[in-house]
This record gives sequence, structure tokens and C-alpha cells, in this order.
Amino acid sequence: MRAGQNEENIMTLKQILFAAVGAGALMAAAPAYADDIVLRALMEDVPETQIIEAMLPDFEKETGIKVEFEKIGYGDMHDKLVSQLVSPQSYYNLLEVDFLWAGEFPAAGWLADLKPFIAKSNYDLTPFIPSTLDLLGRTEESLQILPMYNYSMGLIYRKDLLADPKLQEAFKKASGRDLAVPTTLAEYVEISKFMKANADVAGAAMQGQRGDPNSMEFSNYLFASGGAYLADGKKVVLDSPEGKVALDLYVDNIKNGAQQGALSANLDDTLRLMCSGKAFSMVTYWWMLPQVDNAEKCPDVAGKVALTTMPGGHGESGGWGWGIPKNVSPEEQEAAWKFIQWVQSKDVSVARALQGHAPVRADVYTDAKVLAKYPYYKEAQDIVATGKSFPIFAYSAQYEDVLGTHLSQAGGGEATPEDALKGAAKGLEELLAK
Amino acid sequence: MTGFMNWAHREVRIGWAFASPGLILLAIVMGFPLLYACLLSVSSYTLLKPAILPIVGTDNFATMMASERFWGATWLTVKYSVVTVACQFVIGLGIALMLNRVVRTKPIYFAILTIPMAMSPVSVALIWRMLLQPNLGIVNHLMETLGLPRLDWLGSASLALWTMAGIDIWQQMSFVVLILAAGLASLPREPYEAAEVDGARGWQQFWFITLPMLRPVAAIAVIIQLINEFRTYDLPYVLTKGGPGTSTEVLSFFAYRQAFLGLSINEGAAAAFVLLVIVLAMTVVFFALLERQSKS
Repeated sequence: MRAGQNEENIMTLKQILFAAVGAGALMAAAPAYADDIVLRALMEDVPETQIIEAMLPDFEKETGIKVEFEKIGYGDMHDKLVSQLVSPQSYYNLLEVDFLWAGEFPAAGWLADLKPFIAKSNYDLTPFIPSTLDLLGRTEESLQILPMYNYSMGLIYRKDLLADPKLQEAFKKASGRDLAVPTTLAEYVEISKFMKANADVAGAAMQGQRGDPNSMEFSNYLFASGGAYLADGKKVVLDSPEGKVALDLYVDNIKNGAQQGALSANLDDTLRLMCSGKAFSMVTYWWMLPQVDNAEKCPDVAGKVALTTMPGGHGESGGWGWGIPKNVSPEEQEAAWKFIQWVQSKDVSVARALQGHAPVRADVYTDAKVLAKYPYYKEAQDIVATGKSFPIFAYSAQYEDVLGTHLSQAGGGEATPEDALKGAAKGLEELLAK
Repeated sequence: MTGFMNWAHREVRIGWAFASPGLILLAIVMGFPLLYACLLSVSSYTLLKPAILPIVGTDNFATMMASERFWGATWLTVKYSVVTVACQFVIGLGIALMLNRVVRTKPIYFAILTIPMAMSPVSVALIWRMLLQPNLGIVNHLMETLGLPRLDWLGSASLALWTMAGIDIWQQMSFVVLILAAGLASLPREPYEAAEVDGARGWQQFWFITLPMLRPVAAIAVIIQLINEFRTYDLPYVLTKGGPGTSTEVLSFFAYRQAFLGLSINEGAAAAFVLLVIVLAMTVVFFALLERQSKS
């Protein structure tokens, strides 16, 4: 009898175990419904993210899909994303991808091709500015990143300091020229140094920290002086007379025009400095203007700042895009695509632009409501149109570090500009050949 | 005799049985990652081509050894570790000696001392980054108020490493103080009483009694801190990103750079392995010295 009872108990236990395993397997295999899906994205903590975040309840109301943004600084994003993308299943099922990773992520096979999604939903790509698509690695065969916003760089400067009669007189006396918005890189650096010496402010709030900050900043100097990283997309031409002029002026401005501590400063530091009224100018992303020109956030300088293209005519142009990781379920991919379509639609883009978004759609730049609120979007469109790109390939992120190290050494006096430029050019050649 | 053998064998078997859960756990959480890192360091594994094969032997180590930057990072790590640990020890010993004389308020001092130690290095780095901000930070503001020049704490290639070392000393010193204070409290009173009878002065008592008797505890504190300092990563990551130039690029940051920016997990693993070997060698040498001294 006891043996029989034991057998019965064992059978019951077995049945429970089988039932549990079966239920688990069914739950794992069952398709997730849109209502259950939570989209998770790692986002750079910048105004653009905050603008979209404020609109997320609208998307949830429309589709029932919840979206969560995890906001962090740029410097930590790449590593955090890579560790998820190489894992069997990514925690992030919606990706914000920088153009600097547009060579690496597709080369590593981490992103889903968006073309099938575009075809299935008849999504219209024509309003997108073509350069913003090319910047993110669009090819004939595939499109893995859809533009989100651009971050072309220009010059933000203090109008009140340029118009100051005493400073005007002093500048005329010193240089024989009128104090006005600079049109060449050399003029800009000259004014920056003058402001530091005479206006009790830093001439330029510079982001000289090694890596992304100083690489992006220097790229503006390079393009403004007529230099380039590559010719025909292959040959390294960084070590050119134009490159030398650019680096000499960059180092000169770091040493004699910028704020103290420029070599360890990043974007946040420069914004704080400009906001506090302790700098004349900053070479930065054009959409920083509404931040600096905000009476609540920056009362010391609001109403006194303006934006122009990089002196010399060309600045660095970059951009962020949306991507969908390969290592998430098809249901999550569908939900992510639904979100991307929504957030980049004309209506949402205009609503975002009215909050200061940097559009990638041409129809938003010409929208009457946007232009009425932000007349400087006209200049912004010029900045985007004249911008040039940092070299995009599988090792762009590493090249930022290589270039950044040489720039930092030149800025700190550890290397001559000639050696730094040679080293930076050699580093690019090596990484292109890797 | 046979009975004794059986008993001894049974004792050994039981010993292994008790030790095995811990050993298995250690093998899983420490042995496996270590072996995997070793395998990666001799493989061709990169983030763009995530495959262990082909095995490339010592190629990754050779590439690293040929890099000037690796040697620069190694030298910087040695310099940084020696200076920070020496300062932590000297200042820590001073504070521990002072605390040794305090009786009533000792717990208050200890509570205050443990605050920096309890903070995460990332928070510490962020706080100090704000304080040392050259234009808007409070430290330069105070210096200017006192008529001193403003310093470019983290932006100057000659100052950044020592600023970082200062922050590290500030945070880590409490650990040394606590260990040394515990060591001092446990020293016997008799040798001091005998020395007083013999007319030994304070510094003589310190030099000939306190220091020799404190040596084992001090050695432990020094070796633990040396290992900690060799692995420093959080401070350069948050404070300087290894810059300006390469002036704060320590070995662990170099390994991170190779792995995540260079996408070469294999080269990163090789650098991490070199770091491990250095730390292990240091530990072995240090304990051997300690052993020899205690025997003599």
C-alpha cells in the first residue's frame, strides 16, 4: 500500500514538473502581443531625447506600446550598446545609433535591414534630406539606420560683445579691422583671443577632452580651413597644408583663446560655461542655440546669442538614426518599426521641431509654423547643407580616440602640431587597412 | 595501522566533501572567466568577427608589447600605484597614530573616516570633477579668494595624473587608517613599558617597537592597496578619459580601449592578462618577503 502511495506521489510530482515545463515552453513560444511589448532604448541625454520623451504618452495612447528611454551621456553609450548587441538577446529593442557607428554596427551584422519594413508599410523616404540618409550608411541593397536628427555644427557667439563700443574700438586699434562676425577660421581665432584678453570672458568655450569631444570640434577647424580626412573616400589627406593650418589654429585657440581646463572639457562643460556668460563663443551643435538662448535656463546670455555657419563655410556634420537590433524577437522588431514610423512622421517631426528638434526631413525646415517660431532654422538649414562628415568606417569610434589623443597631445604641448598631424594621419591609414 | 589509514582516508574524503561546494563555486565564478579570458587573449576574437578560431598564439601579446602606448600605460600605472599607496600609507599611519591616543571620541572619528570609503568611485569622481572644474568649480574659487592662482587640475598634462592620485588617496586612505588603527590597538603594552624604563624617547619607541611590530598588518594594507591601485579604472574613465593626451591612461584603461573602442576583445584580454600577471607577481614577491622576515 505504501509503495503504491509513493508511486502515486512520484507520478503527481512528475506531472507537476511536466506541466510546469510545458507551460514555460508555451509561454516562451507564444507570440507577444503589442500590448505586452515594452520598447527600451538607450538614449543620449540631450534636448532632442527630452523632446521625444515628453511625447511618448501620445504614442502609447495611439498604439498601446510602451516606450522607455534610458538616458546617459554619450561617452558611455557605445560600450553599453555593444555588450547588448553581441549577447544572444538584446535588452534594448530599439536603437539610437550615432553616425560614427554606422560603419561598425552594420559590418558586425547587429542591425536588422529596414528595407523590408519600409516596403511592407509603404513608408515614404522622399521627404528625408538625402545627405542624412547617406551619412548613416544607406546603400542600394540595404538601409539599416533611419535618420532621427542631425547634429551639424556651427558657431554660437555673443552679439552683445561684438556690438560693445569699447571692444569695437579696442579691436580696431589692435587689428585695423572692424569687430564683426568672423568669416574665416583665422579671423575667428583672432577674435577669440582678443575677447579673452579684453572682455573678461573665454574667447571660446572649447570641448578639448580626448575622444569624441575634441575630434568633433577639430573636424570643424579642418573643414573650415579647406582640409579633409579622405580624398575620394579612400586616400588619407589629413596631413596637408590645410590640415596644418587647421591644427595650428586649433592649438592656438586652446592655448590662448579658450577657457582654463579646455583640455578636459566636454559638451556639458562648454554649455555650462557659455550659459554662465563666461565665454564669447562656442563651436557646437546648432540646436544648442535654443538651450543657450533660454531665459529660464541661461538668464545671463538669453537674447544675446546668435548662430552662424562655421567661419570658413564648412563645419562638421553628423547625425543620429534609429535602428532595430537583429537579436530581438520579430514582434519587438515590428513594434520598434511602428515607433520609428510614428516619431519620424511629418506631424510628429513638426511638433518636435516646435520644441527645438533638428530635423532630417526637408519639409520640416520649410514649415511655416516652425519658421515663425524659430527664424534661425534658415541658418540651420545652411549649416546642415554645408556640413561635411567625419570618416565613417568600421573603426570610426576608435579613430576618434586615436585622433583625439594626438589633438590632446598637441593642445597640451606634449607633441608639436606637425607630429600630431602625422600621427593622426598614420593612425587613420592603419585603421582603414585593418 | 590499517584502521588508522582507513580513518585518515575517511577524514580526507570528508574534508574534500565539505570543501567541494566552495571549490566548485570558485571554479565557476573565478576559474571559468579566467580561463575564458586566457583563451580570448590567444584567439582572433574581435567584435566584428566574434570567433575564437583561429588561435593566434602569442600574436596579441606581441602586438601589445610592440606598442609604445602599452609601455607608457604600464609605467604610468606603476608610478601612480606606488605614489598613491606610499601617500596613503604615510598619511594613514599618521592618522592611525593620532587616533590611537584618542579614547572617548574614537567611534566618531571612525564613522567620519569610513564615509569616503563607502562611496562608489564613480560618485567620488563626479563630485571631484565638479569641485575641480577650473572655471565654475569651488576649489579654484577658494584659491582665487586666497590670492592663489587658479589651476587647471584635470586639463593640464603635468597635473592631471597627480590630481587623480590626490582624489584616490582621499578616498582610499580611510581603509589604510582603519587597518593600521586596528593593528596599533592590538600591540602589547609590555615592550613600551620596558622601553620607558630604559629611557627610550617617543620617536625611538615608534621606530624600534611600533614599526617592527606593526609590519605584518602594514604589509597586508600595502599589498591590498597596491592591487587596488593597479586595477584603477573608474577614476580615469570619469575624470579624464585617459587624457589630456595619454597622461592618465593607466593599464586597465588601455585594456578597455583595446577591447571596446578598438573592438579587439582579444587584445584587450591580452592586456588584462598582463595586468593580472603583474599583480600576481607582486603579491607572491610581497608575501615571500614577509615570510622571510617573519622567519628571521
